[in-house]
Amino acid sequence: MDDIQRRAFMKGAAIGTLAFTVGAADVMLTPRQAHAQSVPLRTLTADQAATLGAMGETLVPGAKTAGITNFVDQQLSIPPEEALLEARIMNVRPPYANFYRAALGAIDGASAAKYDGRGFAKLNASEQHDFVDLMRQNKLENWKGPGAGFVYFLLRTDAVDVVYGTMDGYAQLGVPYQAHIAPTKSW
Amino acid sequence: MANEKVDVVIVGAGASGSVYASVLAKQGKKVVLLEAGPDWQLTDLISSDFWGRRVKPAGPPFLLEGKNPYGYVYQAGWGVGGASLHYFANFPRLMPNDFKVKSTYGKGLDWPIDYADIAPYWDKVADDVGVSGDAKAEEVWRPAGKPYPMPPMKTFPGGDAWKKGFAANGMRLTPAAVGINSTEYKGRPACIYDGWCHVGCPIGALANPLVTYLADAKKAGAEVRAHSTVTRVLMSADGSKATGVEYYDAKKEKQVQEASVVVLAAWAAQNPRLMLNSAGGKHANGLANSSGLLGKYMLAHFASGTSAMFDEDMQPYMGTIAAQYFSYDRYDKNSYKDKGAFGSTFMVAGSAQRYSALGGVANARLDLFGADLAAFMKRAAKGYTRLTAFGEEMPSLDNRVELASDKDEFGMPLGKITHGFNDEAVALFNANFEQGLAIAKATGAKEAWSNKGPMPTIHLMGGTIMGHGTGDSVTNSFGQTHEIANLWIAGPGIFPTSGAPNPTYTIFALSLRGAENLATNFGAVAG
Repeated sequence: MDDIQRRAFMKGAAIGTLAFTVGAADVMLTPRQAHAQSVPLRTLTADQAATLGAMGETLVPGAKTAGITNFVDQQLSIPPEEALLEARIMNVRPPYANFYRAALGAIDGASAAKYDGRGFAKLNASEQHDFVDLMRQNKLENWKGPGAGFVYFLLRTDAVDVVYGTMDGYAQLGVPYQAHIAPTKSW
Repeated sequence: MANEKVDVVIVGAGASGSVYASVLAKQGKKVVLLEAGPDWQLTDLISSDFWGRRVKPAGPPFLLEGKNPYGYVYQAGWGVGGASLHYFANFPRLMPNDFKVKSTYGKGLDWPIDYADIAPYWDKVADDVGVSGDAKAEEVWRPAGKPYPMPPMKTFPGGDAWKKGFAANGMRLTPAAVGINSTEYKGRPACIYDGWCHVGCPIGALANPLVTYLADAKKAGAEVRAHSTVTRVLMSADGSKATGVEYYDAKKEKQVQEASVVVLAAWAAQNPRLMLNSAGGKHANGLANSSGLLGKYMLAHFASGTSAMFDEDMQPYMGTIAAQYFSYDRYDKNSYKDKGAFGSTFMVAGSAQRYSALGGVANARLDLFGADLAAFMKRAAKGYTRLTAFGEEMPSLDNRVELASDKDEFGMPLGKITHGFNDEAVALFNANFEQGLAIAKATGAKEAWSNKGPMPTIHLMGGTIMGHGTGDSVTNSFGQTHEIANLWIAGPGIFPTSGAPNPTYTIFALSLRGAENLATNFGAVAG
């Protein structure tokens, strides 16, 4: 990595933030801060973001306020070689936005078919739980997209990342983070 | 653009390329390493599972096919240091029964060399990079060798707990040999047991190339060019020798680097891709491929994981991602013959756990989500520990690398890896779960379960295997291709069989053996 790239990378990593766009300017925020500030989306539509937020919260309680939607949306907007998504190491072919759009579309399509036209974000908590339980077992009917079990795995990892993969997450579990080079805030 | 001719151009700045660069640069050779990815520094190695993904591959993908497609990205490298920038640094060695599998069992292949040919190089590597362990204790399974330069690493409750389970099953565990400093070594500090090895160790306690062979190579004058993607090996008009390589630099401009010797150290799948893409003239089917075996006999390990949960604090957040203990007690290739299995098993116990990593705590119960997952995470945060059994598959011509019709941004055909495990490997995978669960239950754990999912593929090897001649292989035992004297292959691609242990220690040892041979015979070999 050259010096300029490295300085930019280290700056972001050291304070645990990613570059989000607020107004016309790029600002460094954690995904949790980006969610709290309702930072505009770069890649996902409002409907896709609603589905992702609801799915994240169903998979791992706390994922929505931890900023799963802003995290994934921001990551899809940057070059794939800079991405921090689990998709990168699970052989998903870039651009990763193609996978997420297809996955979120499959979720809403299967949800609408099963629950009278309602997308996943419109389901109640019990329905969402039942839907995900079928999804992880590849047992949903009318699923049209990447394998349901694989989608479950990747979105679950995104949710685990933002809730448990951070310094805050380790603190919540009561275990020490012990960084060599620390992402000193939440990341 | 043509660059000044050098003595040696090495494609790939990972484990094997770094060893060649070190040996040859110290001999006074002008060495250039071309690396497709970034020039990572220790300061880039952030302690985070998120940020750790940045050092994983991001170049053109390999297309994956077959019954058990090869999931390579998690474990492969991208950038200076290669996969060994983020490896776990388990340093087990192969065993004597790995080298004559065909002769002994009528299956698989033989190596053209024996355990005794590599043993001195495992010992040399241990001294070069620093290995912690108890060599004497390992002699229950292998011939005697030199002691490791450092004593074993500290252990923690999550590792120690497995001793009871192994003993109850009549099995032995010894302190694991690891390429991590248990004490200060050659100016590098001792490990602080924080469990972030798998995203890169920025203090240099873990023996990655940046602080070992590559550092030596650079000190001796070797040049590393990052963001340099090699697309072809260039050949003389008569096809008798390699003249250099063609590559694209950081500005995506085509360059030529002429060299007297070309060493391909770009990973088991990428080396055959390059050699197939360099076909022409005398080598119409790919370089050094009159055997028809270029890209064939790709090998992978598989792993059967077993989990145990205790009420006590097992300190899974402490230690290294490398194992605390290991065992070769099921290394006989017929250990589970009664279950239809064939192949060796190598077991590791008690590595540190991360909470969001691919192999981390959250994925120990992939069926859980929502409130159930949250409750599990609370219990597992301190009570969880794991045992992993690596299994061996036999080489098959069906497991291969080929060129695809899709092309990358430089016009080079993508590689396609086809891989599947045979029935004996599947039986071994299952037998290892049964054995693991029996051990786990005997530890006294409150809960024990198998982490059974799709059969994973780990540690890609083969594809440019060594042998006796063009009738059975691509290279000789040093990695020199049979047909082109100044074209060498380095890395796990030259393994004809894989054994069951983590391969990097053997990659270092074979590379050292090959590099020393090349250095000794340089005048006769160089084009």
